Amino acid sequence: MKNFALGRYLPIDSAMHRFDPRAKIAAMLILMIAIFIPAGFIGYALIGAVVLLGIYLAKMKLNFIWNAMKPMFFMLGFLLIINMLVVKTGTPLITVFGFTVYSDALSQTFYIVVRLVLMITITTTLTATTKPLDLTMGLEDLMSPLKRFHVPAHEIAMMISIALRFIPTLIEETQRIIKAQASRGVDLDEGKLKEKIMAILSLIVPLFVSSFQRAEELANAMEARGYVPDHQRTRYKQLVMQRKDTMLIVFACLVCAGMIALAVL
Amino acid sequence: MSIEIRKLSHIYNEGTTFASVALDAIDLTIQEYCMTAIIGETGSGKSTLVQHLNALLLPSKGEIQINDRIIKADEKPKQLKALRKKVGLVFQFPEYQLFEETILKDVSFGPKNFGAGEEEAEQRAKEVLKVVGLDESYYEKSPFECSGGEKRRVAIAGILAMDPEILVLDEPTAGLDPKGARDMMQLFVDIQKNYHKTILLVTHDMEHVLSYCQHVVVLSHGKIKRDCDVKTFFSNVDDLKEMKINPPAVIRLREALLAKGFKLDPSLLDMEELAKQVAKEVKR
Repeated sequence: MKNFALGRYLPIDSAMHRFDPRAKIAAMLILMIAIFIPAGFIGYALIGAVVLLGIYLAKMKLNFIWNAMKPMFFMLGFLLIINMLVVKTGTPLITVFGFTVYSDALSQTFYIVVRLVLMITITTTLTATTKPLDLTMGLEDLMSPLKRFHVPAHEIAMMISIALRFIPTLIEETQRIIKAQASRGVDLDEGKLKEKIMAILSLIVPLFVSSFQRAEELANAMEARGYVPDHQRTRYKQLVMQRKDTMLIVFACLVCAGMIALAVL
Repeated sequence: MSIEIRKLSHIYNEGTTFASVALDAIDLTIQEYCMTAIIGETGSGKSTLVQHLNALLLPSKGEIQINDRIIKADEKPKQLKALRKKVGLVFQFPEYQLFEETILKDVSFGPKNFGAGEEEAEQRAKEVLKVVGLDESYYEKSPFECSGGEKRRVAIAGILAMDPEILVLDEPTAGLDPKGARDMMQLFVDIQKNYHKTILLVTHDMEHVLSYCQHVVVLSHGKIKRDCDVKTFFSNVDDLKEMKINPPAVIRLREALLAKGFKLDPSLLDMEELAKQVAKEVKR
């Protein structure tokens, strides 16, 4: 868990880091849509190039992306198997134990894998180059037009930022409790089923207790400082869109348009 | 039961941009059957060091020998349970590890994990609860109903119930009131004397070091600065100042009196004795 790369912020300085969070979120959403436009291999090559450019601008190591991808391997393998069993179109390739593997199964899996890899890379680029707080601030701003429809944009953003803020704390807490229980002879890897259930219980109960405690303390601390969710608030840090931020969004739109053009042609 | 640490280094997040050296080639032999204090500023590597003693953390370099068991870097050790039974580690704020419905069940959780039967574990739990000063009325209580100090006693009992040969305590008095802290320290002294345990104590409190410990290890930036007995440690006041350690009250008082021209034994470490000598001086 220590080398958890998915969603982790990289504290370095790069061109990607300096973009406005709102521009980055918007560009990410547009590129996500672009990924799902069926534009064949050329389309994916286009998006792939854009994604690589993003990685370069963010000064990320490919190694880091690879680590972020690791938790997905299981799902990718699962998808491959399901597809092989379900998809029965295209030309039959080989037959193993009475099962015939069709070419479409492989190509479909390939598409899904490529899409997933691209999506993970794009989101990793966003989270690695944007501080969690900037990210939620950007989200709040992007959602603020929805306030007219009584969508509690600020509350949602606050919830997200509290949740994000406490992920590292909870990971730390979990590791601490794992260690404390390991000192009492708990073995999370070995043992019979009953022992394993007990081991997990010895982890979850303290984690719940401390989470509730933290929640109460945080709520008290916020109220003590006069926090009222639906009040008008000002910000110390103001987000300002610059020309390069607008260019980022326009660029993402162009990529999306290019994908549509490729799909139609 | 002996612990020897040889050229031990620990690097967190090795090989990433977040890498940080917590321990730097430490050599240390833990004195048996006495109470050793481990002191040092926050981030000096105390907690990292004690977590190596029952192999919760494994060395990045170097090795640790616990009895005949040697734990080396780049060797994935197996069957750590036997080791963890011998070295009982009480974490900071150990009350977070409580989870069972009743105190008795929680305390007998450890021994059961190490293979004790239901009845044997319960018997041990009852014994150690008596040692930490919790009577029968607590057996069926939920640990979450207890006060902070009681919770901590339950958690410590949970480790004692495993009957470890070495007891490692990471700031056991943090967050307790002065009386609670004193009682807790007295409890450890009693355990050490009555059951002949080796106790390692991570602490910030120099008063505790002076009154309860026999040996001191000072860590600073992952290295060992001092490793000596308590008397030697407190004998050189300038040395303490250099390490930014605030000496215990008795030493501060003694130094202030000496500076004012009182004729006192400059190696005094006992408040009563100091009072006697001051009284003598005043009469004269």
